[in-house]
Amino acid sequence: MKPTSFWAAPILSLLFFAAFVGVWHFSTQQTLGEVTVDPEYAALIGAQAATGGQSAMPGPLDVGAKLWEHIRDPFYDRGTNDKGIGTQLIYSIGRVLIGFALAALVAIPLGFVIGMSPLIYKALDPFIQVLKPISPLAWMPLALYTIKDSNISAVFVIFICSLWPMLVNTAFGVASVRKDWLNVARTLEVSSLRTAFQVILPAAAPTIMTGMRISVGIAWLVIVAAEMLVGGTGIGYFVWNEWNNLSITNIITAILLIGLVGMMLDTLLAQLARAVTYKE
Amino acid sequence: MSLPNPFDPDVKLHRGGCSCGHHRNQAEHDQAHAQDQRQQQDRLVEGAVMRALFPRDAERRRFLKTVGTGTALAAISSIFPLGLAKEVFAETNGPLEKTKLSVGFIPITCATPIIMAHPLGYYSKYGLDVEVVKTAGWAVVRDKSLAKEYDAAHMLSPMPLAITIGAGSNPIPWTMPAVENINGQAITLAMKHKDKRDPADWKGFKFAVPFDYSMHNYLLRYYLAEHGLDPDRDVQIRAVPPPEMVANLRADNIDGFLAPDPVNQRAVYDGVGFIHLLSKEIWDGHPCCAFAASREFVTGMPNTYQALLKAILDATAYARKAENRKEIAAAIAPANYLNQPVTVVEQVLTGTFADGLGNIVQDPERIDFDPFPYESFAIWILTQMKRWGQIDGDVDYAKVASEVFLATDAARLMKEVGMEVPTDPVMAFSVMGKPFDPSEPAAYIESFPIRRT
Amino acid sequence: MSQPFLKIEGLTKRFAGTGGSPDFTVFENIFFGIEKGEFACIVGHSGCGKTTILNVLAGLDEATEGGVVMGGREIAGPSLERGVVFQSHALLPWLSALGNVAFGVRSRWPRWSSKEIEAHSVRYLEMVGLGAALHKKPAELSGGMKQRVGIARAFAIEPKMLLLDEPFGALDALTRGTIQDELLSIVQATHQTVFMITHDVDEAILLADKVLLMSNGPYAKIAEIVEITMPRDRTRATVHHDPQYYRIRNHLVDFLVNRSKTYAGEQGDDPVHPPIVRPGLDGGARVVPLTKTPATSNQASPEPALRNASN
Repeated sequence: MKPTSFWAAPILSLLFFAAFVGVWHFSTQQTLGEVTVDPEYAALIGAQAATGGQSAMPGPLDVGAKLWEHIRDPFYDRGTNDKGIGTQLIYSIGRVLIGFALAALVAIPLGFVIGMSPLIYKALDPFIQVLKPISPLAWMPLALYTIKDSNISAVFVIFICSLWPMLVNTAFGVASVRKDWLNVARTLEVSSLRTAFQVILPAAAPTIMTGMRISVGIAWLVIVAAEMLVGGTGIGYFVWNEWNNLSITNIITAILLIGLVGMMLDTLLAQLARAVTYKE
Repeated sequence: MSLPNPFDPDVKLHRGGCSCGHHRNQAEHDQAHAQDQRQQQDRLVEGAVMRALFPRDAERRRFLKTVGTGTALAAISSIFPLGLAKEVFAETNGPLEKTKLSVGFIPITCATPIIMAHPLGYYSKYGLDVEVVKTAGWAVVRDKSLAKEYDAAHMLSPMPLAITIGAGSNPIPWTMPAVENINGQAITLAMKHKDKRDPADWKGFKFAVPFDYSMHNYLLRYYLAEHGLDPDRDVQIRAVPPPEMVANLRADNIDGFLAPDPVNQRAVYDGVGFIHLLSKEIWDGHPCCAFAASREFVTGMPNTYQALLKAILDATAYARKAENRKEIAAAIAPANYLNQPVTVVEQVLTGTFADGLGNIVQDPERIDFDPFPYESFAIWILTQMKRWGQIDGDVDYAKVASEVFLATDAARLMKEVGMEVPTDPVMAFSVMGKPFDPSEPAAYIESFPIRRT
Repeated sequence: MSQPFLKIEGLTKRFAGTGGSPDFTVFENIFFGIEKGEFACIVGHSGCGKTTILNVLAGLDEATEGGVVMGGREIAGPSLERGVVFQSHALLPWLSALGNVAFGVRSRWPRWSSKEIEAHSVRYLEMVGLGAALHKKPAELSGGMKQRVGIARAFAIEPKMLLLDEPFGALDALTRGTIQDELLSIVQATHQTVFMITHDVDEAILLADKVLLMSNGPYAKIAEIVEITMPRDRTRATVHHDPQYYRIRNHLVDFLVNRSKTYAGEQGDDPVHPPIVRPGLDGGARVVPLTKTPATSNQASPEPALRNASN
């Protein structure tokens, strides 16, 4: 078999991208027909409506231009309800990180306890099984009602959706630490604390990191929806605000950026996971 | 202008809605005045004194014309210690309990006074630092208000009633010190129904309204019922957040909606729907949105509450004037507020609009702004809530109405900012030609053949 | 020398039967002793409970009845006094070879500085020939090297006794031979007391001073204690030249192949004093202990005599 060039995959990627953009461009391209209504009336309605049609999907050029516009000035501030997309992304990432960190603070110690004690595992398992499949957004009304602060509620929703994968994975990782390693620690009279930190934690770390990676992915998915619900700030709010304006161009731009940030978060945790992974 | 000079013979103090005429640019004028709050307050006191001395405008004008303004001021001062009165007023007005406030709004043209008070500087004029926060939907506005994240908020006028009597949430005493706007809604239908203008042909339609506890819901139900359609059986009505209405209409998920503007105009702008009927054709002068706050806020922070309400009233008075509408449209269309094309907002506010069928319609009263919370409005809303089964059991209509719709406060403060105040907080009116007697709410409900009671 | 250094007394392991079925007894009434500096191998078929006995010695498992006394004290739980080399090497994969050894050393001497710990660990790794692989992770080491790290870890804590659970079972024959030699030389140099499980008869003969033969389970017992009467300075290269070698080997293989199955119940031996045999010596077939009652004073007497005879 001939070895494929280093550049083969990137070139293919570019080709796919070009093909996608091309299809997008030509399928959304609309030639404006004759204006079918009188000019005075036409001035009051959208360009597409004036020719008897409906406003159309934006093409890649529109989106590109909009994207550039946002990237050029990502942190503008034109009042409480109109801030740059960079600011909105920072709000969202901030909420995700806070909720995620809080979840980690709860899930990892609790997961340790559950993983190490079959009794507690059995006692808590029904709760976890019932709570785990609940859509995080279903918590939103309850959170708003009890916490009485939409910002904290959004963070709470992130917390709750990040919690389960980390909790379950930590418990699983801790429970499946090789008996031999624990025996080594026991025969060496290693204290429980040192065993927890120097044997169980590193042994379970790859599993825990996998849980964290799943969690941050879910958290990023959920924050957009949560912010669309509570509004105020964040990329979800941005999408909602532009949806309000029916500005599909802005929405596609935001979708692209949401994807990019999601990928960055995932890559970051993948790097961390690689750092703690060991080969047996 | 909000605070007319009472010593100007050309100014009519008792009938609001008139400009001082000294300035060409109204915004400039108002902002210049906003700079000096004390001066404004002095004017208020002078105005109050003049009104007290001359209960009828004609007399005051005659007096001023005869003796001249300067003489009048001196003459009045000699018999009435104006300076002292001004001091007393400033004191009784008291210090503000809280100056940094958060007020929520939904991005629709009904919110105009709440929004406009911000760029026009009315909030700062009364010493308030108000953040107007765009909110995703009515339920969120309600929840954030209940959570005290908002000190006050833009609500649908049925919402304070619903919150107070506990429909849809736990009962918490809520108040509605001012109506935001009257009229300004419309029934929009999908383009494919442009030949089905008779509601009798609408069986099986799916309609959207912004919220269950909304004038939109009650007006649509009323309209359909008057045309013999049972809104619960012959059609489907569901609550859809306004931003999603146009998209749903476009996607053919709904056949039409009774929605706040600019949603209707936006449907026309995007070529997906046409305006079948303005809500004023169902009930001319109906209230729609409201400025609402908890009773706790009203009684716990009376000075802040009054300052906030006065700012809103000023903005309402400003928005009421037809000549300001274009400027308002340009001010509230950007992303920070409504996030809509300017022309869409302008068509709504000026009343010169494309109807989606190729006609340019002119109706300057398509939307109007009148802050007075008539108690009879509340009673009518309660009758409709009862009629459609949103409230069980007996309701003391008049009591709830007077507790929630703060007509007395509104009247006093409207007077202070120089607006015309109706004499009776209970006003009879007609909806689609059928008269409503606020003193007989139960009989009114019984008079409808289609109802859930 | 009235008491052996390590004394196993009446060790029994039973698992409670589930759902009314009778209890399952893996082994019962295990009695034996190991002297200080002695190398004991235990040989028997799978399932006879060898690993359980080792785990009880390590303090990782508990016997149903009976107990273990080491240096005059009853064993309760794991201790740094007994180093364990695990069958599966059980290295912590995220630590380097050095890290694995240092992990134990730090536990043994918590007051030592990192430098001292490192120097001590390096010394033991060099002893097993891993001076060049100090910073390699277990995954980068061959099976033999991993087991060497395991041995270094156990030796480095300088335990009073070493427990080896079939440490070379997973290694290829060549590697096994090399490490056996290394182990032999270290043990000879340090006079370490060792208890080791093995399946490999040759390994037992090469390394051990005595071989404990276990009959098959259930109800497994110590059937015989075989003394390896060959001189202690054996090497793998020369051990099979000794005329005793094949006699011992034949005896052990014969036990494993034939007698281990039928042993239970056939013999009327006193479990407290399993018969001691010296198949290596001429005519030294079977030696029945002089006394059958577990009287301390009497029990000690035959042993010095036997030792003398072997030399």
